[in-house]
Amino acid sequence: MSEKRPLSEMPESLKQLVDTKKLLGSKLLVFAEADMNTNCEFCRFVLLLTKTALIVGTNNKLGFADPNKKETDFSEFSFTSYSIKDLNNPKITTFVVGGMLSAEIDGEQTPICAFTNAYKGRVMRVCEILNALIKNEEIKEERLFEEKHDEFCHKCGMPYPEKNRKICPKCMDKRKIFFRLASCFKPFKIELAVICVICILSALVNSVWPILNGSLLYDTVLAKNKANSVFEALPFEDFAVFLLILVLMMVGVKILQQLFGIIQGVLVAKIVPKVVADLKNKVFASIQHLSVSFFTGKETGGLMSRITSDAANVTNIFIDGLPFILPNLFTIIFSCVVMFSTSPLLAAVAIATLPPAIIISIKLEPVLWHYNSRRFQTARDFRAKLNDNLTGARVVRAFGREESERVRLQKVNGNVAAAQSDAMNFDVKYTALYHIAQSLSSVLTFTVGAAFVLAVFKPQMTYGTLMTFTGYVSLLSGPANFFSFIFRWWSDSMNSAQRIFEILDAKPEVTEDPNAEPKTEIKGDITLKDVTFGYEENREVLKNVSLSVNAGEMLGIVGKSGAGKTTLVNLITRLYDVNEGEILIDGVNVRDMRFCDLRKNIALVSQETYIFKGTIFENIAYANPSADRKAVIDAAIAASAHDFICKLPDGYDTQVGSGGRGLSGGERQRISIARAILADPKILILDEATAAVDTETEKNIQASLKKLVKNRTTLSIAHRLSTLRDADKLVVIDGGKIVEEGTHKQLMLQKGEYFKLFQIQSKALAMRGIGD
Amino acid sequence: MQEKDILQEEIKEVEKLLSVNKLTKENATFSETKGGFITLLLNGEEKGQVNVICTFPFTAPNEFLSVRTADDKAEEIGIIEDLLAFDEQTVAIINKQLEMRYFMPEILKVYSVKEEYGHTYWSVLTNKGKHKFTSPSGSSGSVIRTENRVIIKDSDQNRYEIKDVTKLTPKEMKKLDLYL
Repeated sequence: MSEKRPLSEMPESLKQLVDTKKLLGSKLLVFAEADMNTNCEFCRFVLLLTKTALIVGTNNKLGFADPNKKETDFSEFSFTSYSIKDLNNPKITTFVVGGMLSAEIDGEQTPICAFTNAYKGRVMRVCEILNALIKNEEIKEERLFEEKHDEFCHKCGMPYPEKNRKICPKCMDKRKIFFRLASCFKPFKIELAVICVICILSALVNSVWPILNGSLLYDTVLAKNKANSVFEALPFEDFAVFLLILVLMMVGVKILQQLFGIIQGVLVAKIVPKVVADLKNKVFASIQHLSVSFFTGKETGGLMSRITSDAANVTNIFIDGLPFILPNLFTIIFSCVVMFSTSPLLAAVAIATLPPAIIISIKLEPVLWHYNSRRFQTARDFRAKLNDNLTGARVVRAFGREESERVRLQKVNGNVAAAQSDAMNFDVKYTALYHIAQSLSSVLTFTVGAAFVLAVFKPQMTYGTLMTFTGYVSLLSGPANFFSFIFRWWSDSMNSAQRIFEILDAKPEVTEDPNAEPKTEIKGDITLKDVTFGYEENREVLKNVSLSVNAGEMLGIVGKSGAGKTTLVNLITRLYDVNEGEILIDGVNVRDMRFCDLRKNIALVSQETYIFKGTIFENIAYANPSADRKAVIDAAIAASAHDFICKLPDGYDTQVGSGGRGLSGGERQRISIARAILADPKILILDEATAAVDTETEKNIQASLKKLVKNRTTLSIAHRLSTLRDADKLVVIDGGKIVEEGTHKQLMLQKGEYFKLFQIQSKALAMRGIGD
Repeated sequence: MQEKDILQEEIKEVEKLLSVNKLTKENATFSETKGGFITLLLNGEEKGQVNVICTFPFTAPNEFLSVRTADDKAEEIGIIEDLLAFDEQTVAIINKQLEMRYFMPEILKVYSVKEEYGHTYWSVLTNKGKHKFTSPSGSSGSVIRTENRVIIKDSDQNRYEIKDVTKLTPKEMKKLDLYL
């Protein structure tokens, strides 16, 4: 259950002010903030609604609120109180962005304040409750609560980037996420440990190279001087042998380097795909438990498409990032120790000249990423355009727009090329600049080092030591670079991880009562009591709807599009939960029933048919996977689908769905009816089941439906009223309310909305020659 | 008998639906109420409070304005083909309402634009004062560009306008370049 908070909740400082000034005559019902005055200039407002008065406070200071301040300073506010008795017709005039609250005062509609979208919800609640107060309606306690929504991060005061996602990317606890993520790698503890050891070993081996390649080669072997070297203890004197040993050592180091690389590669190849797949599986599994509302939310749509890349993103840092932290740190320390012990002065020079390269990397790398992301963006646009054109090929040709389409595509393609060349240009410049900075550092170190070798500075340095030294300097640049981007990489990965966890942790809005009594057999009585529901806050789609259907009866639901017919059905199947009132099946609240019992006993045939990828047999058996061939064929015959299926070359084994054989609208519809027949539900819901098919097919489907509705409670929504003639009862819904109720005969006699609709339809059908 | 009536009524309704009522300075008089709302007198008939809506808010804000009733139904009363053909006072009244309806602070200066974790954080000076906002980056819907005019939508769908990007300083342009 989501958290609710009272609408009267207000900032502490305001509360104190209100208390000391004794502004409220009675209990506060709703508190709201607004951010614009009636001239649409930014200005802070507060609205306090009590049972008897609306109190409006403002500081009359123009300008945006300081976004860094977490709380407004209310001490400078002046307040005006309007008695509810003096107010009439409170109204929100909606603008493209935000709106304005006004009310009739002294017979004149007077604006009170305006607001942007950020404050819209609360001000609308003020208007709604104010309206109820003026009309003397009873205000139920639950209307004075709202879902908890915060717009700003509590820590840093920045607005949340996504409204429905209360996560501040800056302030989220990345460590917590990290450790949670680390648990995904638990099965691979040993492998990860091996990777870490290998990384350290390879860092060690790498650090040896400058010694072999520098002082040992030049100062010992080539200078034929084994004093102060690892060769000193050896019993030979022949430097050709030393050279051989050195070469062997060098070859050994190189082989070791490659060997470590191979072991690491193999382990990574073993871990990464498994962890990524595991993450994706978990995400998919938890998505299956979420309510329908999750899928209709716009933000979640975007979230989904990112899941795949997020999973990979998250895993990468564990494999390509973290194991290298220690070795890189080790390399830095080892190099520094060697450098400083060899020549502190030269080491200082080398370290001092490193920052330019690091700064360039830190500053310019993000810009490079930006150019690249723009490149991807334009490439995506291009693909979308191409897709648009190819799928709409028939329309393009029908309107003779080939030329203009070509020009349009050319333009998008131009953008791709421009973005690509921008990115490449920048990349070239960046790389050059980075290398110049790096080379400068090496050249400078080398120059100063050469001065040591030439004994300009004391103490004198050997050529080999200088070579070793510069070797370490260049060895340093790798880790320096690594640490310059690992932090950003880490943040991005943790953000990806956070998104994954959000889905894993998402709580379904419609939840099953764990104590629900099993009820496998139901009769099919349906009762709705004062049901009120809206998909969004403050926008009710159904208002106080009450109706009842007896088991085995057919109820026809009639109304204009957008009247709330499908919503009604969504509530009975419990795809959504009602806001107020209750829905009973056999006298039991649907909230107290197990999902499996509910879903097993209700089947839905809607105009939106969905055919899954698979065979026709599998598609029909979807409702009841244990059904045998005979049952499926019987269902198909009952749905008038058997005939067309038999005529397909592969019969019931025909592959359908994406990539399979295309089916016509009527064929798909009949398969979904067969599915419903096979499910053998006690309650059948037909939501415009025949809206998308031709008259001939409709007749067939109607015939099959007639068989189907026998002995079941049927709710049927239809535009074509003639299909509802046999209904035991009809309800007409308009604007979320039931406006008429009765049998076809009764309603025709009433000569109301239904009569009017029926007359228009039968006339219109008669004119088209398809009347009944 | 009654069937016929209903059908006739329906036909009339459809005809009404399909006809466009042209509002000109000859047949329509707009006036402002004390509260700042607009009322309309059409062919001598009092239409009460009305709302004016742009049909082309970006490309032709002064043409083809749809005038609608101020109630929930928001039925169209008529269309103003060219607002500027009206007298100055009417233009001022209607423009005032349009400004409210299409409320959009103008960005005068860009202090900083930063992209982090798929969201762009803006710190700007607008004609309504300093402001910070966040827009989702990458999604093509958050920045609308027509020639030199740029409209940015933030996460709340509030809009901000840069009237002419070429008038920004080169430094500001550089900051913006990647985001537009």
